[in-house]
Amino acid sequence: MESKKLYDVESKIPQEEFKLMHEEASIHDTKFETRAVGWFEDSVKRFARNKASVVGAIIIAIFVLMAIIVPIFSPYNHVKKSDFVNGYQDKTYSGVLPKLFNNAGGFWDGTQVVSVGETEYKLRLFSDANDPYLINPEKFVRKEQKVTETSTIVTYKGRVDTYAVGVRELNLTDSTEYQRILDYEAAKGISYATNPGKSILKPLRDIEAYLDYDGPFEKWAEANGLVVNDDWSRVDNMKDAIRNFYNQRQYVYYKVIPSMRDGKYVDTKFEAYIEEGKTEPEAIYMKDSSGNLVFEETNNGLESIRIDYRAYYRFRYGFDPVFVFGANLQGQDIFLRLSLGAQFSLMLGIAISAVNFIIGLVYGAVSGYYGGKIDLIMERITDIISNVPTIIIMTIAQIQLTGNLQLKNALGPAGTIILALLLAFVFNGWVGVAGTTRMQFYRFKGQEYVLASRTLGANDRRLIFKHILPNAAGTLVTSSVLMIPGVIFSESSLSYLGIINFETSGICSVGALLAEGQQAGIATYPHVLLFPAIAISLLMISFNLFGNGLRDAFNTTLRGSEE
Amino acid sequence: MRNGKETLNYILKRLVLMIFTFLVIFVISFILIRLLPLDAATGVGKDPDTFYNMQVALGRMVKANDGTYHKTPVFEQLGAFIKQLFAPNTYKTTDGVVHTTSRWGYSWNISWLSAPDKLLVKQLPPTIIINIYSIIVSVPIGLALGTFMALEKNKWPDNVLSVLIMVLISVPSFVYAFLLQYFFAYVLKILPPLRADFDGNWFSLDMFKSMILPVVSMSFGSIAGYARYTRAELTEVLTSDFMLLARTKGLSRAQATIRHAFRNSLVPIFPMILGEILSILSGSIIIENIFAVNGVGGLFLQSIQMKDYDVFQFVSMFYIAIGLVGGLVVDVSYGLVDPRIRMGGGKA
Repeated sequence: MESKKLYDVESKIPQEEFKLMHEEASIHDTKFETRAVGWFEDSVKRFARNKASVVGAIIIAIFVLMAIIVPIFSPYNHVKKSDFVNGYQDKTYSGVLPKLFNNAGGFWDGTQVVSVGETEYKLRLFSDANDPYLINPEKFVRKEQKVTETSTIVTYKGRVDTYAVGVRELNLTDSTEYQRILDYEAAKGISYATNPGKSILKPLRDIEAYLDYDGPFEKWAEANGLVVNDDWSRVDNMKDAIRNFYNQRQYVYYKVIPSMRDGKYVDTKFEAYIEEGKTEPEAIYMKDSSGNLVFEETNNGLESIRIDYRAYYRFRYGFDPVFVFGANLQGQDIFLRLSLGAQFSLMLGIAISAVNFIIGLVYGAVSGYYGGKIDLIMERITDIISNVPTIIIMTIAQIQLTGNLQLKNALGPAGTIILALLLAFVFNGWVGVAGTTRMQFYRFKGQEYVLASRTLGANDRRLIFKHILPNAAGTLVTSSVLMIPGVIFSESSLSYLGIINFETSGICSVGALLAEGQQAGIATYPHVLLFPAIAISLLMISFNLFGNGLRDAFNTTLRGSEE
Repeated sequence: MRNGKETLNYILKRLVLMIFTFLVIFVISFILIRLLPLDAATGVGKDPDTFYNMQVALGRMVKANDGTYHKTPVFEQLGAFIKQLFAPNTYKTTDGVVHTTSRWGYSWNISWLSAPDKLLVKQLPPTIIINIYSIIVSVPIGLALGTFMALEKNKWPDNVLSVLIMVLISVPSFVYAFLLQYFFAYVLKILPPLRADFDGNWFSLDMFKSMILPVVSMSFGSIAGYARYTRAELTEVLTSDFMLLARTKGLSRAQATIRHAFRNSLVPIFPMILGEILSILSGSIIIENIFAVNGVGGLFLQSIQMKDYDVFQFVSMFYIAIGLVGGLVVDVSYGLVDPRIRMGGGKA
């Protein structure tokens, strides 16, 4: 083939018009048209692509929000200090079940299916309280269980409302309170006269009138052959037992008589007395001389009333007793306690991780950067420290610190415990971070770019902070984030075991709640344990997911590998 | 690992270091424990006089001229303790009989005047039995699961199991202990909630049944750990060149996996199992507490709650020793099972 010069091809262009295109412009590197992605932005992007970690982060965020918002808005956290010196607790609602809905047929509505003894069942059938304890008493299933040849135990199984604490007798300490209740009832239109099913005040009982000499009970006893040969001692004993019975069961407002067992009257068990031809027992309400019901009575300077406790609660505290996660045996709201516990546990976890991070970073950096003899000695020290179990340090720190009265006065019981916790968890908590930092320094200090920088005259400080540390940052951040669930877990295990003792300090942590649940007994009150257990499991899972996501996100070698 | 002498040297070096570490920890915790306030034990059958006399016999207190007792300085106590270890002191009871004191001090609150070492030995069997059951259960299941997951890598069984294992590892063991106890013991009522009382036979049916729940709740975590580790190791081995060679020379997939891959993946897992076997002595305090196992963990907890410092010190030292020996055994066995790892090698 004949070879041609390049310009021969374009020979149609006249010589004078031929011009080089970039004759005047100098050619050099141009900027990328695309936007540069920085290290941090890249990490965030890679993190967001990992769905599991995002879910973990969201759950953590929910916990954080719960820890902040619930204590602010929970009505239980804003009760009057004069009503509850040590924060809200009302033993009337001890151990009530979680309640989120009203009458949801058993789902999260504070009701439960239980077996009620026959006596209890029959007594609860009649009540002058606003809410029934037995829900649909006619649906209860009767069950007979033979104990011995002759005796059987009868129980009724069905749904009961744990919130229906019923009617109580109350001694008033504030003389204006009775009037205030009356005003409240009038304003709401729920006074006993107009709306007996909603009222706070219930008529007082006149037990003595019922048990009076020649009164209704004695007449009944005589008619039923309990008085033999004019011997009233059995009846007198019964009357004492009935008095006792009425005091213990303040919801019983009607006439009671001894129960029959195998054709004989039992002196200590009582049931409603339903006269022939009637369906309900007759009430023993107190009446004044003109025949009106009496709601308030002053005896020996004590002013007593009889109230429906839930309605009274609403009047007294201004909100309804509804515990989303139920109440513990002290009658405290588990939801609020869990939020406070999460608050404390998260704060403790973050604070301890931060302290450990700083100590471990400095220690590991020195040990890893200088190496040699210094490293050997420092390694021995961490070896010793890391082999002492936290549980031992915790025990010793707590006994030493709480025994120190001077310290206790200065910091208060809560401060002393927190100081002991800090000491115990910082004592060997930083060892892990130190080890990671040391490894990272070993990894990077020999690399060429560090050598280049050193050759250019950079000093130790510049090498550590400008060249090595930024490269190690991802790994270190991840390890310190993963330390938070570790601290929460150790704290909860130790306080569950009772080694960390929060009792006098008023602090509640998730671990303390777990211990409370264990004491309440999971057989009878599973919810007291269940919610803290779920909370700590969720926290652990989400922190692990979050941490794993962070590790992948900060691992720059993975950059672009998934695309 | 080059030769036997080098190995022996390395082990000896590690052993000496371990003993040194143990002694330092011992001295530190001895001082910290002896600085705790010491009160005479109270309760039925315990009298302060004996308590103080024993403290004097153990060299922890001196009787002043006015009849009051004072603590000796901590370092003197340390000296007395070391002397006591090799040549126990003697003391006279009121009836004039001369006794030797226990080398390790006494339990004052848990069991009046019992030696801590005897108490510990008495509590060891349930802890060991439960841990052995747990290992028997968790090692095969964990390895099998891990192998299965590695073979099915990135298919749906692997994904499902991976999530499950992540959950099992994250959730604290006491949470599933509670759940298991609640459902199997209190709702379904098919297993006892607490460990059966000791009736002279650790292997009776009742005892076995009552140990099922603690063993299962202890095993969950281990199973998950083994499975995750095996999966990671095995997937790495399965992609290595010698596996390709094994397949090309005509081995079936199963043969290659069992004979070559599985064995190789066991190298780092074996030390893990070894470490776990050693830790059967220490047990899990929290699981023992939930199921009332009354083992070593229970003793440790009791010693803390009842402030029985001699027992506390003895059991703590026992735990620390086990931790140190465990670490040493794991490190040494790494080198023994994998000749490629040169123990004690330099940093280069």
